[in-house]
Amino acid sequence: MAAWTAACLFIVLFTTNPAYKALVLAAAIITLAAGAGLRRIRKLLFAVALVAAFAALLNFVSAHLGATVLFSLPATIPAIGGPFTLEALAFGLTGGVTIGAAILAAAPLSLLLSAHDVVDALPRAMSRSGAAIAASLNLVPAVGATFVQVSEAQRMRGWRPRGPRSWAEVVVPVVLTSVESSIQLAESMEARGFGSGTRTYVKPARMRGGDWLVTGAAAGAAILFGISTAAGWAAPWYAYPTLVPPQVDLRPLAACLLLCAPVLVWRARR
Amino acid sequence: MALRDVSLRIEGGLTVVAGHSGGGKSSLLRVFNGLVPHFHGGRISGRAEVGGHDILETPTRILARTVGFVFQDPELQTVYATVDREVAFGLENAAVPAAEIPARVEEALEEAGIGHLAGRPTSTLSGGERQRVALASALAVKPQLVVLDEPTSQLDPDGAALVLAAARRIAAQGRSVIVSEHRLHALMGAADQLVVVEDGAVAVIDPRGWRAPQFSAPPRHREQAGGDVICAGAAAAGFDGRPLLERIDLVVRSGEVVALMGPNGGGKTTLLRLLAGLLSPMAGTVERLPGRIAYLPQNPAALLHRPTVRDEVQFTIDRSGDHGEPGAILAELSLQHVAGRYPRDLSSGERQRAAVAAVLPGTPRLVLLDEPTRGMDAGARDALVRLIVRLRDGGSAIVVATHDAELRAAVADRVLTVAGGTVAPAAVEAARG
Repeated sequence: MAAWTAACLFIVLFTTNPAYKALVLAAAIITLAAGAGLRRIRKLLFAVALVAAFAALLNFVSAHLGATVLFSLPATIPAIGGPFTLEALAFGLTGGVTIGAAILAAAPLSLLLSAHDVVDALPRAMSRSGAAIAASLNLVPAVGATFVQVSEAQRMRGWRPRGPRSWAEVVVPVVLTSVESSIQLAESMEARGFGSGTRTYVKPARMRGGDWLVTGAAAGAAILFGISTAAGWAAPWYAYPTLVPPQVDLRPLAACLLLCAPVLVWRARR
Repeated sequence: MALRDVSLRIEGGLTVVAGHSGGGKSSLLRVFNGLVPHFHGGRISGRAEVGGHDILETPTRILARTVGFVFQDPELQTVYATVDREVAFGLENAAVPAAEIPARVEEALEEAGIGHLAGRPTSTLSGGERQRVALASALAVKPQLVVLDEPTSQLDPDGAALVLAAARRIAAQGRSVIVSEHRLHALMGAADQLVVVEDGAVAVIDPRGWRAPQFSAPPRHREQAGGDVICAGAAAAGFDGRPLLERIDLVVRSGEVVALMGPNGGGKTTLLRLLAGLLSPMAGTVERLPGRIAYLPQNPAALLHRPTVRDEVQFTIDRSGDHGEPGAILAELSLQHVAGRYPRDLSSGERQRAAVAAVLPGTPRLVLLDEPTRGMDAGARDALVRLIVRLRDGGSAIVVATHDAELRAAVADRVLTVAGGTVAPAAVEAARG
C-alpha cells in the first residue's frame, strides 16, 4: 500500500499536466471506494472537495494573470481588485486537483490499515520500538472508555460540571487510571521478558499475491511515468499566459491507469 | 511489612494460593518472577530462588524465561493485534530463532486449549479467551513455573471455568502451576498444595483438609416489597442507533433485590445504565421515583480519586445531601484499618470494597451494583450481603448485575437473565449457578 501511495504522490506532484493529475485523483477515489466503501469515505470526499475548491478559488481571486479575462473588479479594491482570468481559474483548479489527489492517495494508510498494521510493517531493526508502540496503542481506546465511566460514576455521586475546576473530579481519575493501566501493561511486558537483550522478530505481514500485484503495478506506474517524462511523452502544461488544452499521450496515460490495480485486490478482500 | 517469615518450597503440580484481600497474595506471587522487588521496589531479606536463579540478583526480564505470569486484568497484558503474534511476543524477547517461533506458538495454543483462536484479532476476544491467550503466551517460552494471579476475577463463569480447566490440565501434565484464587472450589479437587497468605504470614496446608466456606445468608426481615421505585415499559437501549436490548418490561419495588445474570456482553451493564438514567431509552419509557440513585460501576477505579478512603465516602455524603459520617459504612465493610489510606494503593479486593463504601452511604432510593463482588474474598462478600440486606430492609430498591451465584442465592428476590437482546426470568438451575 505504501508503494501505491508513493507512486500516486510521485505522479501527481511530478507532473504539471492536469489530465494526469485528474487520472491519479480518479484512481485514488475508486481505490478508496473499493477498499473502504463509498459510504465510509463520503465525508472525506466532501472535505477534500472543500479544500480543493478553496485552493482553486484562492488562486482565481488572487492571481490576476492570463490573457482571457472573464471579468474585472476595480483595482482599488485591496487584494482581489483586478482582472479575473480563465487561466487563473484553470491553474487554481489544477492546484485543487493536486491537493485532493495527494490527500486521497495517503488516505488508505489510515482508512484501510490499522495502526498495528503500520507498526507491523516497520523494519526489523525497529521491532523493539514497534512492540512498545503496538502495546501503547492498545491503551488508546481505553482512555475514551475510562472518561465515559468516570464522568458517569461521578454524575451518579452528585457531581455536576460547574466551571473548569469542577472538571478536576473527572480528569484526575481518568489520568490516574490511564497511568495505572500503563504501569500494569509495562509490568506485564517486563514479566514477559521485554528488554532482556537481543530479540528475534516474526515478520507478520507476509506479502500475498494481491500485494505483489499492487506493488508491481505501483512500481510500474512510477517507472513508466518517469520514463515518459524523461522522453518527453508526458508533456508539461502551463496555464499562462494563454490557456491551452493539455496534451495527452497513451504511455503516461497507461502509467496512471496502472494505479487502479488495487481495485482488483482490495475489493475482493472487503 | 507485606510478608514476613516466609519459608516455602514449591514442587511440580498445582499449588493454590488463598487468603483475604490485601493479605499479601499478590506480593508473594510477584516475588516468584522478581517483580517484587525489581519492578515494584521494596526490600527482601533472606533468600529466594526460582529454577536455580537467585531472584534478588536476577532481573524480571531474565526470569521471564523461567517463570510465566498471567495477570488479573485480561485487557492490560496484550501487546499485539493478533493471537499468534501475541503468543510469539515472549519468544521474540527470549531470542528464540524466528524459524522456530510458529511451531512453538501452535504448540502453546494447543496446550492452552485455544488452537481455534489462531489468527484471531485480539480485539475480538472475550475476557476468558484473552486470559487463555495470556496463558498460552506464558507457556510458549516453556517456563518451569507458571503463575496465575486471580486470573478469573474479571471473567464470567464460562470464561473462568475454561481458564481454570486449562490451568488444571497444564499442572496435570507435570508443569509447576501456582494459581491465586478466591473461588477455591473449582481448583481444590486438583490441588497438590494449598498456601494460605493472611496478614503477611504464609502457611502451607494439606489441600485434602480444605472445606468450602459456608456463605452466610442473613435472615429476611421483610417479606413484602413496597411500591414501585423504577418501572421500564417496552424500553429499548443500545448505542449508535443500534439497540442492544429491546422490549424491556421491568418493575423494581422498594425493599426488593433483583439480580441480573447473563454472559459478558449480554447487556447487563447497559440495563443498569438505562435504569440509572445514564442512557436514554431508544424506545418505550423508564420512570423512577425521585430520590438518590447509588451506582457502582464495574470498574472501581472509575470512582476513586480522593486522598483517602474516608474522603471518598465523605465526597458522596456531601453531594447527596444525606446526613451521616463515613465511619458507619467503613465499619460495615471492615475498612476501618484502611480508612486513612490512598484508595488506589489498596489490593484489588479492598479497592472494590472502598468503591462500594463510596457509593452506598446513607439511604439511596435505588441501588444499582455492577459486579460488586469482583475480587472480593469470602469475608468481604459476607459483609456486602449484610449491607445489601440492610439497605433492602430500609426500603431501597436494589438491582445487582452479577456472575456470582452465591451472592444471587443470598440476596435476590428475583433473578433475571440478560442475554440475546432480552431480559427474562432466569431458570431456577441457572440462577443457582
